[in-house]
Amino acid sequence: MTQTNATPGMFKRNPPIAGEADALERAKNGDPDAFAKLYALHKRRVYTLCLRMLGNVSEAEDMTQEAFLHLFRKLGSFRGESAFSTWLHRLTVNLVLMHLRKKGLQLVSLEETINPSEEDAPKRDFGTADPQLSGSVDRVALERAIATLPPGYRLVFVLHDIEGYEHNEIAAMLECSTGNSKSQLHKARLKLRELLKQSEMATRQEVA
Amino acid sequence: MPDSTPIRTIDCAEFQEQLPELFANSKGGRLSDDPVYAQHLSTCPTCSALVRDLEYIAEQARMLLDPGSDIDPSEDVWNNIQTALAGTNGDEGGGKPNGHSPH
Repeated sequence: MTQTNATPGMFKRNPPIAGEADALERAKNGDPDAFAKLYALHKRRVYTLCLRMLGNVSEAEDMTQEAFLHLFRKLGSFRGESAFSTWLHRLTVNLVLMHLRKKGLQLVSLEETINPSEEDAPKRDFGTADPQLSGSVDRVALERAIATLPPGYRLVFVLHDIEGYEHNEIAAMLECSTGNSKSQLHKARLKLRELLKQSEMATRQEVA
Repeated sequence: MPDSTPIRTIDCAEFQEQLPELFANSKGGRLSDDPVYAQHLSTCPTCSALVRDLEYIAEQARMLLDPGSDIDPSEDVWNNIQTALAGTNGDEGGGKPNGHSPH
């Protein structure tokens, strides 16, 4: 039976980039300009992914650097079974997760170790007529809210809702159950709703 | 003859308990066509507002993957990569990057 490492959802979201295939072949053959070209093509996506997963500029820059150094060493092992960008993003995600584990963030049991404290957890919403989101949340407000999520929520939200990974893929990466991944994602969205409502209220008060 | 079996009613707690699974199964589409959930949503403004907001957040998040949302790292990142690779010989990977800025 033939197995493939390609992830269909990600492949659809990462179409080939003009000039990438040529740069890739040349970089594999030791062309320094080609490696610089690959960096130029992918630095923004890789850095933004790191920043969203880590919520910290300095760490995100370190991990971007680490990802490209790793890419330099592993370039020869890219076989083209998935889009290059998919492969590079997966490599980056793995490096960031490894970094978080080294930092002491236990990803093995999300529920027990990176569940937020009571005050960080989203509030239940039974029977209260809370105002709805306005429907015009801007990107900056959303990015800011994502950055303030507790680490476990943030990881699952970024991987699922932004990067398009499936729950089973996230569960494998974080070494947790798919049920756990679903539950963390739901709590992340609830927490974001709270944060965005607070942000909208603060903006309204400033204007008033 | 139309089915006159009454639809089971659920409360907010039960509905919200089911939400993670309902969202996971919806695959980006509408939550559920199950009349049990549809009935609750049509009669409960709190839960319907909650669902609309959570769908909206997921929709906005998907838009963040747009390349226009990506941010440039500082110049230091490329400089550090070059420095780190300066002592690496070319046969380990893709060759030693030159000093030119890729920007």
